[in-house]
Amino acid sequence: MSTTASDNNELLKLEPVDKTFRMGEVAVEALRDVSLEVDKAEFLVMVGPSGSGKSTILNIIGGLDSPTAGRVWYCGRELSAFSAAELTRYRRDSVGFVFQFYNLVANLSARENVMVSTEISNDPMDVTEALGLVELEERMDHFPAQMSGGEQQRVAIARALAKNPDLLLCDEPTGALDFATGKRVLRLLVDLKQNLGKTVILITHNGAIAQIADRVIRLRSGQVVEIHANPQPVPPEEITW
Amino acid sequence: MSVLHRKLGRELKNAGGLLFAIVSIVAVGVACYVAMGSAYNNLNEAKRRYYRQCRMADFSIELKKVPLAELAPIAELPGVVEIRPRIDFHATVDLPDVAEPLNGLVLSLPDRRVQEPKKGPGLICAKHPPGRSGKLNLVPFSATIINDIVIRRGGYFTERRKNEVIVNEAFAARHKLVPGDWIHLVLNNRRQELFVVGTAISSEFVYMLGPGAIVPDPEHFGVFYLKQSYAEDVFDFDGAANRVLGRLAPAARDNPYLVLRRAEQLLSPYGVFSTTPLKDQASNNYLSQEIQGLRSFAFFMPTVFLAVAALVLNVLLNRLVEQQRTTVGTLKAMGYSNRQVFIHFLEFGLIVGLAGGLLGCALGYWMAEGMTIQYRRFFEFPELNNHFYPGLQLTGLVISVICAILGSLHGTRLVLKLKPAEAMRPKPPKQGGAVLLERITWLWQRLGSNWRMVLRSIIRNRVRTAVGVFAAAMGASVLVAGFMMADASNYLVDFQFKWILKSDIDLAFKDEHGEDALLEAARLPGVDRAEPTLNVGCTFYNGPYSKKGGITGLARGAKLTVPRDCDARPIRIPSAGLAMSRKLAEILHLQRGDLVTFRPTKGLRKEQRVPVVEISDSYLGTYVYTDIRYLSRLVGEQFAMTGVQLRTDRDPANLAALYGQLKKLPALEAVNTRADMIESLEKTLVDTMWVFIGLLVVFAGIVFFGSILNASLVSLAERQREVATLRVLGYGPWQIGSLLLRESMIVTLIGTAIGMPLGYLLAVGTSMAYDTEMFRFPVVAQTHTWVWTVMLAILFGLLAHLFVQRAIHRMDWLEALNAKE
Ligand SMILES: Nc1ncnc2c1ncn2[C@@H]1O[C@H](COP(=O)(O)OP(=O)(O)O)[C@@H](O)[C@H]1O
Ligand SMILES: [Mg+2]
Repeated sequence: MSTTASDNNELLKLEPVDKTFRMGEVAVEALRDVSLEVDKAEFLVMVGPSGSGKSTILNIIGGLDSPTAGRVWYCGRELSAFSAAELTRYRRDSVGFVFQFYNLVANLSARENVMVSTEISNDPMDVTEALGLVELEERMDHFPAQMSGGEQQRVAIARALAKNPDLLLCDEPTGALDFATGKRVLRLLVDLKQNLGKTVILITHNGAIAQIADRVIRLRSGQVVEIHANPQPVPPEEITW
Repeated sequence: MSVLHRKLGRELKNAGGLLFAIVSIVAVGVACYVAMGSAYNNLNEAKRRYYRQCRMADFSIELKKVPLAELAPIAELPGVVEIRPRIDFHATVDLPDVAEPLNGLVLSLPDRRVQEPKKGPGLICAKHPPGRSGKLNLVPFSATIINDIVIRRGGYFTERRKNEVIVNEAFAARHKLVPGDWIHLVLNNRRQELFVVGTAISSEFVYMLGPGAIVPDPEHFGVFYLKQSYAEDVFDFDGAANRVLGRLAPAARDNPYLVLRRAEQLLSPYGVFSTTPLKDQASNNYLSQEIQGLRSFAFFMPTVFLAVAALVLNVLLNRLVEQQRTTVGTLKAMGYSNRQVFIHFLEFGLIVGLAGGLLGCALGYWMAEGMTIQYRRFFEFPELNNHFYPGLQLTGLVISVICAILGSLHGTRLVLKLKPAEAMRPKPPKQGGAVLLERITWLWQRLGSNWRMVLRSIIRNRVRTAVGVFAAAMGASVLVAGFMMADASNYLVDFQFKWILKSDIDLAFKDEHGEDALLEAARLPGVDRAEPTLNVGCTFYNGPYSKKGGITGLARGAKLTVPRDCDARPIRIPSAGLAMSRKLAEILHLQRGDLVTFRPTKGLRKEQRVPVVEISDSYLGTYVYTDIRYLSRLVGEQFAMTGVQLRTDRDPANLAALYGQLKKLPALEAVNTRADMIESLEKTLVDTMWVFIGLLVVFAGIVFFGSILNASLVSLAERQREVATLRVLGYGPWQIGSLLLRESMIVTLIGTAIGMPLGYLLAVGTSMAYDTEMFRFPVVAQTHTWVWTVMLAILFGLLAHLFVQRAIHRMDWLEALNAKE
């Protein structure tokens, strides 16, 4: 499915955004002049070597961090001008995060980990349904320590999904997984976009994964070096790395 | 219940034993607060009620003999509301089945008690209405009189006999005296038979001290109430009294001295021996001191424990938040607000505070119960019960919660600072630079790698180390202060009853006697040695300072009373001049070599000016010693004595014969047997002390244990990775344990070393707080105090390590090795 940018279909927009980290004397320029538009129900992959600023962009989009310069828009509202409380609301209602190391709460079961997310949501999914989407109903009462990495990542995806966000932000979701398991997780994410119409932004340092995207953004040293549309996304099952 | 609460619940459960240790520290703090506060309220309330019930006198004047008619001006003094004249005498009691003669205090009470005051010539002078001077109503009886009694068994006097007696309850109980029994007292040199009509207690004798005693000894001392008319007859005191009790208007109570000085002037023709405001009344003084002491302890002890608890909690929560960095970040990324996450972590502390508080409240109530039961052994009240004080309990609970929250706040605040984006990034490693110690190369190079690890860890985790040192210091100071209390009481008993007073039996006569009385005493069966004593009551003056007291004359070369200086060295009894106790010299602002004026309260009452040639020390009373012949001459006699001290051969047969003879001596006012005194001291004071010390040891143990367990487990959790690596290198669990043990032992011993002098200072403070005329606390620390403190510190440390060792054995180090972080 290809997308054309039209105003009412636009979900996110970054107007040249800079991000500089200051650590005492040293300033690290993590992002420079990054402009970007993301459409609704788009599957976007950002690739770049480690340290190129991928996570920084994702954090800014997810409302975890704010840019040093430039503006960020979400559905026509200026994210970069949000107060702390508004950012919290935004994260709560609109964004689902999936992390490289899953970040499940160790002493909560799979079901309970998902509940952590549904309990603060206005419009949550049924917990069982969310776990059903990642095919883990059977393992609902297992604790993270009793599950494999792939299973844990699927719980994390269910957790992100369960509060029904429009935007799923995935930071190296397959980074800690083996090849086959990784592909399974990717399939899940592609399905979410295709079946539920979610916007997915996935970042990876693994160029092969870019093939599954609708659009690919390449980053190097905090700058966007290439954006190209991918009219024929490859199903995850067919890629190799 | 939300999932976060489930998470919290599981964290609490996981923290298990550690949590219980911290909760215990909080609980001990709250328990001390609640227990001492309750005991304070119990005693204070019981005292207030009892004093009101008995109409406790605000002052008392002791004199030789005053006609009742001469008392009207006293009753009219501004500030005086009401007075009661009384006849008081010491007596010896002869109970058939008790070998030794017992001491008694005989007091007069109105013959009858009626509801309506009657007009007529009377015994009780009361102004109506109080405060208005002028018209004086003399009422013979009153429904309630000053220093009234509370009947426990039997009843008040009847009109059937003249010679009825009411016996104080404790003495009656010890000797199984019941209404209807007959007893014999030696009154005014005659053996009198008296019919017991009842037993009673009085607010005057809440803490009942016999002559020369420092703890109540109801077995050897009793109070006997006689009808006023009978007392007048038997003591030849028709229409006269030798004590005046009085009550003051509330405004005059704060400063009774003005009234007392006026009264003394007015009564001076009748030989005033002493004037005593309520504050200085023996029983009241002891009781008030105890109440006051509870108040300061109720503040001090909880502060120590709650401070330790808060700090220990701080270490734990810092660790908890640190450990859950990623979770904090994830929660925030998912849309949890700062407040929600903050409260989630704060709840951990809150629950510790609540649990500790509730446990402490219950424990405190129970401890107060124990303390109150203990107090009943010393203090006699109509009822002294433990009550539940909701306000106090609630305050305890609130204090513990506040403390726990304060302790958690520091760690929990990290949650707010933590930005989710940063929380996801691996934590920058702690700066692992060289510690200062490493600069001392010659030392560092000699240390093995294990010691280096231990020392680095101690130095790098500054806050944790500081908290551990503080907790150990507090624990050690509590131990030292407690042990020093025992040392002090042992020392005091030894000092007073083995070093100063070395006689076996002391006799006190009613009047002065000549040398023949000494010879007679020396001939008593079983007596090896007899030494005379002369007590002269007097007032000392030095410029603006004055003090009522007495001088004790001792024979030259006396061996049965040996005055000591503050280093416990014997002082030679001066052949001229006085050896004055330190406390009295302080009160009078006198130093060695100064001259002091004194005026005897009996006899010629001629003022004399004499030098203070020695300063003596003792922990009870304010004694002044001199040569008996010198003192006799000062009061215008060749040789006079008012008492004898005896050393016996301690042969039981002789002793029985001796007691038999003493019972027949009418001139005796009091008999004191040293062994009885020491026994009663040990029974009450020393037993209580051990209970108290036992509690302190348990409390200190909880502090040591809790803090060490916490520090070691936190350290273990932080260093999982390091521990796992060491395991891979071939270290066994015991070797790993030894690293942690060394760490905690160093911290504990440093803290103990700091805490021991603190405990000493605490004991010095306590001794300063208890520095009164009647009673002083020596500051003594025996070697075993230090040894025991260190040994207990090590013991508690090892005990805590046992749990740490168990945790090491159970640790899944393979998982720790593989886990990311
Ligand atoms: N909180 C931070 N403080 C300092 N530097 C940071 C911080 N976050 C990221 N950086 C730096 O910004 C750059 C981009 O980091 P990041 O976005 O995490 O890269 P990527 O996700 O592509 O590996 C790196 O050089 C990184 O060191
Ligand atoms: Mg990254």
